[in-house]
Amino acid sequence: MNGTAPPVSIHLDAVTWQANGREVLCDVSIQAHSSRIGVVGRNGSGKSTLARLMAGLLRPDRGRLGIDGIDPARDRKAALRTLGILFQNPEHQIIFPTVCEELAFGLRQLGQSRDQAGDEVRRILARFDRAHWHDAPVSALSQGQKHLVCMMAVLAMRPRLLILDEPFAGLDIPTRRQLQRQLDRAGVAVVHISHDPADLEGYDRLFWLDRGRIAAQGPASEVLPRFTAEMNRLGELDDLADLAG
Amino acid sequence: MISLTSPVRTRAHGWPVGAKLAGLCIASTGLFMVQGIWFHAAALAVVAALYALPGRAFLRAGLSALRVLVPFLVLVMAWHVLTGSTLTGIEVNLRMLTLVALANLVTMTTRLDDLVGMLHRLTAPLRRMGLSTQMLELGVPLVVRFTPVLIGKAGQLSQAWRARARSRPGWRILLPLSLQALDDADHVAEALRARSAPD
Repeated sequence: MNGTAPPVSIHLDAVTWQANGREVLCDVSIQAHSSRIGVVGRNGSGKSTLARLMAGLLRPDRGRLGIDGIDPARDRKAALRTLGILFQNPEHQIIFPTVCEELAFGLRQLGQSRDQAGDEVRRILARFDRAHWHDAPVSALSQGQKHLVCMMAVLAMRPRLLILDEPFAGLDIPTRRQLQRQLDRAGVAVVHISHDPADLEGYDRLFWLDRGRIAAQGPASEVLPRFTAEMNRLGELDDLADLAG
Repeated sequence: MISLTSPVRTRAHGWPVGAKLAGLCIASTGLFMVQGIWFHAAALAVVAALYALPGRAFLRAGLSALRVLVPFLVLVMAWHVLTGSTLTGIEVNLRMLTLVALANLVTMTTRLDDLVGMLHRLTAPLRRMGLSTQMLELGVPLVVRFTPVLIGKAGQLSQAWRARARSRPGWRILLPLSLQALDDADHVAEALRARSAPD
């Protein structure tokens, strides 16, 4: 899986990000050079914020962040050529009413002409065996199909790195497997963010995020058993009673 | 109010968008200039025939798109009957129905990006004056994309209300619906930023 994808370098140096005076991420430092990087953590641990910081959609309040040497929040042009992000909910990602427009949008943003983008859209649909989706209205697609549209739209831009923010949450097993297969074939490095240890088995670099801080890091084979044990232990307690802040 | 997609591909899908819009423009002007109830009845019959040509599925989709006109037709007719000008009412209604049906025919058989491309060409003078028309061109597909999404959200809110209440929600879901729409706007803004470079 992703064995052919060239590795990318991710550097976070004491990154802090606040919302309403509360530190969502606090002094997070990550050094990784890999094609398969995982981030695991509970709901509310700051995973999605970390994904958005890496994608350059948010800017760190303190600290520095670089993906293959670029600052994705400041250099948006370079960021578009370097990385893509898949949101958890495809409804939050799809901007256009038809599949072809959705796929063409990013290509036009990369500077392709209307005709170039049109040809490229047909090529990418054919590569995914979805040529017949070209004119399909997004509103008629199933949830899994919408996920695939998002994936194709981002991969069409040929990023070196794909940031996945819980991309398979809520999908059934066959849909997950099919999407995972499409992803593996794409040959792109991934930062995969998930609460589910099963998604991240076999990842060589794994970061465990807990209440906005890195709690542990290492290969999945070391970190995941500890994470799973801790999650099971917490499951016996009642921290649902705790309010944030 | 206008349906933008056709369930089947018609021959008119291949016609240039400029020609279709020009035709619509000429036909609309003609319908406004010519008086006479029989002329308008004949015009409506021609448009009905156009709807029937691509087959039953197209006809059904087209007719259901025109259903939104019914309250307006009823209102106009009622007004004219009350003011004692029933014949004028029939003529006004025939004209309105024909005009909207024709416009709907153009949007049903034209791809959205072709329409937006036309808009781009038509607004060229504005760009020469230094105004950006990008937001206008982006706004059209956004409306088409999010209209069904908002209708779906209204349905969900209404179900959530009815699951715990005896009355129907009515206007009371408007505020939460607006808040959800603002939330959606935030998400779209983020999605746009994720895949587009600033100018």
